[in-house]
Formats: sequence, structure tokens, C-alpha cells
Amino acid sequence: MKKTTAVIIGGGATGVGILRDLSMRGVAAVLLEQRDLAYGASSRFHGLLHSGGRYAVKDAEAARECAEENAVLRKIGRHCVESTTGYFVRLPEDDPAYEAKWVVACQAAGIPVEPVDLARAHRLEPHFSERAAAVYEVPDAAIDGFRLCRQNVLSAKRYGGKMMNYTEVTSIEQQNGQVTAVKTRNTLTGELGSIECDIVVNAAGSWVGQVAGLAGIKINVIPDRGTLIAFNHRFTDRIMNRLRPPANADIFVPHGSVTLLGTTSSPTERPDDFTPTTEEVLALIDEGKELFDELPRYRLLRAYTGTRPLYCADPTAATREISRNFVILDHAKEGLDGLISIVGGKLTTYRLMAEKISDAICGKLSVQAPCRTAEEALVDDIAPELMQQAKKFFPTAGVELAASRLGPDLAETVQRIQANPAKKELVCECELVTLAEVETVAHDDTTFTMSDIRRRTRMGMGTCQGTYCGLRGLGMMVDNDLARGMTTENLLREFLETRWNGIRPILWGQQMREVELTRGIYGAGLNMDGAVPDETE
Amino acid sequence: MKKHHYNPDSCIACTSCVAYCPVSAATRKFAGPKMMGPALERFRGGETNTDFSLDYCANCKNCDISCPSGVPISTLNMLARAKQYKNKRRSLLDWMMSHSDLMSKLASPIAALSNFGMANPLTKMILKQVGITDKMSLPKYASKTFLQQFRAFKQQSFPDKVVFFSGCFINYYAPEVGMDLVAVMQRNKREVIVPEGLDCCGSPLVGKGYLDEAVEKARTNIAALKHWFEQGIPVLTCCTSCGLMLKMEIQEMMDLELMEQLAAYTYDASEYLLELHAQGKLSTEFAPVAGCYIYHTPCHLRAQGIGKPSLELLSMIPGFQIEDADAGCCGQSGTYGFEVAKHDIAMAVAEPVLKRIREFQPDFIVSDCSGCRLQLSQGTGFPALHPLTLLRRAYEGK
Ligand SMILES: Cc1cc2nc3c(=O)[nH]c(=O)nc-3n(C[C@H](O)[C@H](O)[C@H](O)COP(=O)(O)OP(=O)(O)OC[C@H]3O[C@@H](n4cnc5c(N)ncnc54)[C@H](O)[C@@H]3O)c2cc1C
Repeated sequence: MKKTTAVIIGGGATGVGILRDLSMRGVAAVLLEQRDLAYGASSRFHGLLHSGGRYAVKDAEAARECAEENAVLRKIGRHCVESTTGYFVRLPEDDPAYEAKWVVACQAAGIPVEPVDLARAHRLEPHFSERAAAVYEVPDAAIDGFRLCRQNVLSAKRYGGKMMNYTEVTSIEQQNGQVTAVKTRNTLTGELGSIECDIVVNAAGSWVGQVAGLAGIKINVIPDRGTLIAFNHRFTDRIMNRLRPPANADIFVPHGSVTLLGTTSSPTERPDDFTPTTEEVLALIDEGKELFDELPRYRLLRAYTGTRPLYCADPTAATREISRNFVILDHAKEGLDGLISIVGGKLTTYRLMAEKISDAICGKLSVQAPCRTAEEALVDDIAPELMQQAKKFFPTAGVELAASRLGPDLAETVQRIQANPAKKELVCECELVTLAEVETVAHDDTTFTMSDIRRRTRMGMGTCQGTYCGLRGLGMMVDNDLARGMTTENLLREFLETRWNGIRPILWGQQMREVELTRGIYGAGLNMDGAVPDETE
Repeated sequence: MKKHHYNPDSCIACTSCVAYCPVSAATRKFAGPKMMGPALERFRGGETNTDFSLDYCANCKNCDISCPSGVPISTLNMLARAKQYKNKRRSLLDWMMSHSDLMSKLASPIAALSNFGMANPLTKMILKQVGITDKMSLPKYASKTFLQQFRAFKQQSFPDKVVFFSGCFINYYAPEVGMDLVAVMQRNKREVIVPEGLDCCGSPLVGKGYLDEAVEKARTNIAALKHWFEQGIPVLTCCTSCGLMLKMEIQEMMDLELMEQLAAYTYDASEYLLELHAQGKLSTEFAPVAGCYIYHTPCHLRAQGIGKPSLELLSMIPGFQIEDADAGCCGQSGTYGFEVAKHDIAMAVAEPVLKRIREFQPDFIVSDCSGCRLQLSQGTGFPALHPLTLLRRAYEGK
């Protein structure tokens, strides 16, 4: 049986942040994720590194935390963050009194806020509504959740931290009121296992209630659905926020090659209620078009849904409120020592949350080492010589993209191309992903499915949504003998199914034609839907 | 919304454009129209690296023609090229290939000398250093430009007028084609007007990324033409690249006042004559014309989306036999085939049509585009004519 000090459940931003923090402080830790890193809210989110502006009026403390963490993440997470800045735009129908209140609240929370001349704002951002009545600039930025999670794990690994994906915790063992071990099941192979430990950290996001339930403890959370839509283009280079009390569909985030609009909000039963609906999409466009008049004409790529845990403090449980933003629940107070849960928060504040809970854990373990996560960069910068070398092989814009996606793995990718220049061919033309990059990622021992490759390379996330790279990627997996027990058909199905989940609710216009092409290739060309009986059977 | 302004968002990545791109078929140096157009367009927000692949697009427009979603792929390429080279030092070759109008202004008054100078071995060597291939002969300056010949020519006056936009090639190198147009119009009781102050259409500038200069030319041309098209007088071209510029490319790449009106009144000369025919106004008093002919459709004519009007017109000549080559792009694309770096690509692109013509053994090749005529004639050894020249011969019974 394996043994460690702390088992962390959940490979979202919070979990990986804790893994990194504990590892840096010298606490042996293993993170277990039931699917892949960022399977939950940490990728199904808006991609906004909050300046705090959104919370300034309603929750000064959350706003201040965001402002501080924003500055920290720009520093330590340079390769996950695109420092875009953001605008808050008040339209004539939005309350001017709120504007005044907001400016004061931002200043009080330490958020740098600058009024922007309207003409200048329109020159820099030509597509937002001419009707705008006031514009302010704040240090909002875009952040990539996949990359953030991965790079936290890479950092933790350097300090001995371990991560196992596709490993679901199925029970939490205890003896005499003390956590002793977790039992696990591999969700790809069904293989069972267990890990002995002293501490279990429940960082399961919307699943936090289920996980606590494994130890017979009740946490009152209701998952809340939020749907977002991705447009095919960047039509804004800055985050665009509506300057009004936070509501639906009032933030646009330019993210790599696309623009994200969200979000909606509705309670649900299941933490993995990830299927967006057409109604949600239409509602988003309807509200969003107030800020971008031409919005209904922009090409939609897909929709996606994430869930946030809405926490309602259980009067019987003793809670220690760190902030209204997130809570840490030490279940020793309910008679189970060693189990500690964290609920709520934002991706922007993940590091701070990890710091607070790691403080609590270190307190239990009498570890003195201080938190250093705010000082050290997640991954090293790429050497300029390597960038120079890489520029010879990648298409325009491709080097920077690949470098930010791959981080330390860029070197291996460049080596692959040097060894065989044919590997600079693009597997994914929409997102400029070379065969060498896909191979590098595919060979990593935490990569199993084609969606794993997608999350780390963006293969399949562009205009054609997997139509071409699906086939090419599959060819690569088979060529390199990386199918690892999955049939080629299942590899492809899993990949395409995740793409279609986001396309089904937006089947009109160009995306309808796009998907017909995909269906033609996979359905008719490859008979994936089995319309024609298999003659070999 | 502008008629010819399309959203690159419409690309469904179907890759038809790649299948139809003659350059992609000939070389791996070009990443292909889909990649260089709509795909990379999504990443062209901020500063981008210089991408040499971008130079290989010949702007032949076969991608635009084949696109089922109406994406102006080649235009996205040209705009990207302009952005890439804005404020950058350019090679002498790029400058020469895009400013032939200026060079012609200097060289054409001393045509005989210039032609001699261009043809002599020393000049050829120097040109090769600059990057111009010695495998092709450059066109020869005419001793008198079209404009000089036209001004000296006494037309019969008619109430119906047409404006003629000759473009640089016809003016400096092929004035006889312009004079053929004048003769054909006179036959059809039309008086030809060539307004003062016309400039190069800008097509070579666009092709080399000098977009700002092309915009200035377009502005100048609109200013010179508007007096006429605002009265409803049609503007005729018989160079298919000039025609494409006035009809479509200005709208796709620029934002100028009156550009839609100019486009609405611009006709390819053969297209215009066919319209006259539809109205029963075309003189069809054609005498038979002897000989064996093969017709090549220029890509920039196909991009205009008006069919093959010249072929239809010529078929009205009694007993006239003309074969439609229908064998793709000739590879020349204006000045593309003149460049050392591109010449072999141009020849590879041309091979099917050259082979077709060689096998057909015509007396004459017929094509509306001067670049195509030059390429096909040099590539096969058969002489080439503009369709209007043949039409004139049919009218005059020669
Ligand atoms: C629609 C939406 C938009 C948002 N936008 C923003 C934004 O723009 N900016 C921002 O800062 N924040 C945003 N947030 C909030 C942010 O996404 C979350 O706060 C953050 O991602 C939570 O991370 P987490 O690690 O706590 O949870 P998650 O990322 O959900 O991770 C929990 C993980 O636990 C795993 N897990 C569950 N059960 C088990 C088990 N039994 N065994 C093993 N693993 C298990 C899950 O698979 C999952 O990967 C948004 C949230 C939503 C829903």
C-alpha cells in the first residue's frame, strides 16, 4: 500500500494550489483527480483574472483579495496570464449612481481604476457599443485554467509532490476518529487502489459535498450552473465588463484566439451538469448584444457549462470563516480528525485559499515552514536561445502560442522537430499545434485520452472543433502506440463527443455547416454512427 | 454593409481553397490559403513575426472562387502582407515589381532605347541580381503609348459614351489592344472617353503589400472617374486585373467613398458588349475570321463571376472555331512569374495549360489578360491575342 502525509482530492485550481504549497513546505502530498486536471470549474469558467472590480461594491473583502492575488499571479503565473487590462463600460441605461459608488469602492479596495476617454476607448476597442456613457480601466487579465493547473503540478513535482489523474477517491477510511487512508478506483481501467495518509484535503469543488459524504460528513452545497459561449474570434483585446451591479452576460474575455461571454446562473442537482442549453445561449447573446451591437452576427464556436458550489453554512457544523469568499471546514470539530474541506472562492484567489488551508494543515502537523508560493514563479521562463531556435520551425504566432502552452516542454518539442523536420506539420491548423507538440504531450505519463491532449495543446478547440485534428491526432496516437488500452474507436468517440456537447446547443449559421462537414467525415466517411452495418461482423 | 466585405468568421475550414490553390499544389513553401487566410487571421491581433510563407500567395483568387462560404481568402492574405511589410525596408525587387507604372513613365518615352537596354545581357545580369528571372523576356515598351495614340485618333462622336480605363499594361506595352477597343466601340456607335488623371489601378501594389499606396491610387481613380459614372456612363476595362480591382478588391480591402458606385458601373469590355447584345444593340456584322484558336480564361476574370463573355462574343463570328483550354491557372499572376524565387513555381502551375496548348497546336492563343498572354506565348511559342483584337478583325473583315 502506498503511503503519504496528505492526500488532496480534486485536481482543480484549489487542489493543485494546495499540492504545490504543501510540497514547497516539505509536506509529502499526493493529489488525486477523478478525471483530468481542470476537469471541473477550473476549465469550465470565464478565464478572467479578476481585478476585483466586479466585487468592489458588494464584497469589499473579496475585491481586495482579488486585487492582491491578481498582482501575485501576473508575477508567478506569467505563462498562464495574458495581461490584457479590462474596461468597465457603463451604458446609458445603467445607473450612474452605481458608477460613482463603484469608483469609490474600487479605490477603497486598492484596485487601480482610471477613467478612459470615450474616443480613445473606441479607438482601442472599435467594436463595443457607441452608446457607452463611461469607461474605466482596471487591471483585469485573462488566465488559462488548464495551464494554471498543469504548471502548479509541474512546480509541485519539483518539490516531490505527486499527481494521479483518472483516480477517483471512492472512500475515506478512518479509525478512532482519525483519517487513515483513501480508497481509489482508476476511472479508465477500473483498477482499485488505496493510499495511507494522515490528512485528507477535500478540494473537490462542486463535489465537495459528495466527497465529505464518503466520510459520513455533511456539507451543505448546491451546485450552481453557469453557461458561457465562445466566439470564433477575438473581437476585443481587453476584458469588457458592464459597469452595473453584477448580473448575467456582462463580461467578455478575450482568450487566446477566441472571446468568451458569460455567464448564466441556475441551481442544479449534479456537480457534473455540464450540458449547455440553447435557451442559455440565446439569453447570453440577447443580453450581451447591449455591449456589442453586432454580437448576434459573430460566429459562435461552442457553449460550455461549469458549476460552482453554493455553500449554505450548516448551523450544526462549526465553521471558521476566513472570508465571505471561501470557507475552510476542519472536520475535527465534527469528530473526524485529519479531514479538512475547502469550499467556494474563485480561481483568481486559488493561491490564497491554498495558503490558508496549508497554514491550517501545517499547524496540525507542526510544520514551521512558511508559505512561499507567492514568491516563486510556477515555471521557469523559456531561454531566449530556445525561442530563437523554435522560431525557425513554427508558423507565425505559433512560437509564442506553443511556448505559453508547453512551458518547460517546449525544449522537447523543438528537439522532436530537429530530429525530424516533418514533425513541424500542423495537426491542428486552427490553433497552430504541430505534430511534435502533440507527440510531446501524448508521451507524458499523465496523458491517456485525446481530450487530455486537447486540454494541454488546444488541439480541437479552434474553428473546426476537431474535424481535422481528430483524425490526425488519432493517427499520431496509433503510430506511437499510445492508445494505452483504449480502442481507436473509443479514443475518437471520446474526443468528438466532448466537442459535440458544446456544439449541439448552437446548431445554426456557419457552425451548423461546420458540423455537417464533421458529420460527413466521421459519420459518412468513417461510418462512426454505424449507419452502414459492419460487414466484417 | 459593403457588398464585397465578407466576414472571415465564415470559414468552416472545409479546405476547398487548398484543393484549388495552384501555388499550394506546386510548392510546400506556401502554407496554403486556409492557413494564411482565415486560420491565421484569428491570431493577427497584435504584433506577429514576419512570415515568409505569406509572400508565396500569387493573389490569383482561386481560393476565393472555390470558397463555398464566401470568405475573401486572398484578400485576407493581401491585407496581412500589407500589415507585415508596413514601415519595413523593402527589396528593390518588391519595389520594381509593384511600381512598374512609375518605371514605365520614365522608360517608355525612350522606348526603343529602353527595350534595347532591357534586352541586353548586362541588364539581364543586373536584373537577375535584383531578383528578376532571365528565363522570361520582359514585355517591350510600345513606341507610342495608348494615351498618345488615342489622343491623336479622331473618333466619330456619338450620344452614347463609354469611359475606358486602360490600365498600365495596355497603355505602355499593348496600346493596340486599347485601340482595338476604341474601334469596336465605334462600330457599336459608342464614343470612348479616357478621362484625365487616371492612375495605375493598384493591383501590383496590393500584390506586394503596398496597400497604402494602392489606396491612394484608388482614391485618385475614383476622383477621375466619378464625373462619368455618376451620370451613369459605364467604365470599361479590358485588363482583367484592373477590372477586378475596380469591381471588387477596392471594396474588399479599402473603405472609400463612392467605391460601391464605381463597382456598379464598371464592366469588363466583353461583358459590356454582351449586355449590348442582350438589348439588341450589338452590331453582329461579323466577317469570318480564319485560323485555329485556343482560349484561356484568366483567373481574375473568373474571380469577377461573369462567366466567359469573350468566348460568347467570339462564338458569334460566323464559322469561328475556338477551343476552350479550360486547364487552370497560367501561373504568371501579374509579375509573380518574373521573380527568380517564384519563376519555377509559376512554371509548375502553368504546366497543364502549357501542355494543353502545345498539344492543340493553335495559330493563336486568345486571352483577356496580358500576363496570361505573355506567359502562355513564351511558354509555348505560339502568339497570343486579346479577344477584342479578334473582334475588331471580324468587324473589319480582315
Ligand atoms: C461559470 C463559471 C465561471 C467562472 N468564472 C470565473 C472567472 O472568470 N474567474 C475566477 O477567478 N473564477 C471564476 N469562477 C470560479 C472558479 O472557476 C472556481 O472557483 C474554481 O475553478 C474552483 O476550483 P476548484 O479546484 O475549487 O474546483 P474544480 O475546478 O471544480 O475542481 C474540483 C475537482 O475535483 C474533482 N473531484 C471531484 N470528486 C472527486 C473524487 N471523488 N475523487 C477525485 N477527484 C474528484 C473533480 O473532477 C474536479 O476536477 C467561475 C465559475 C463558474 C462555474
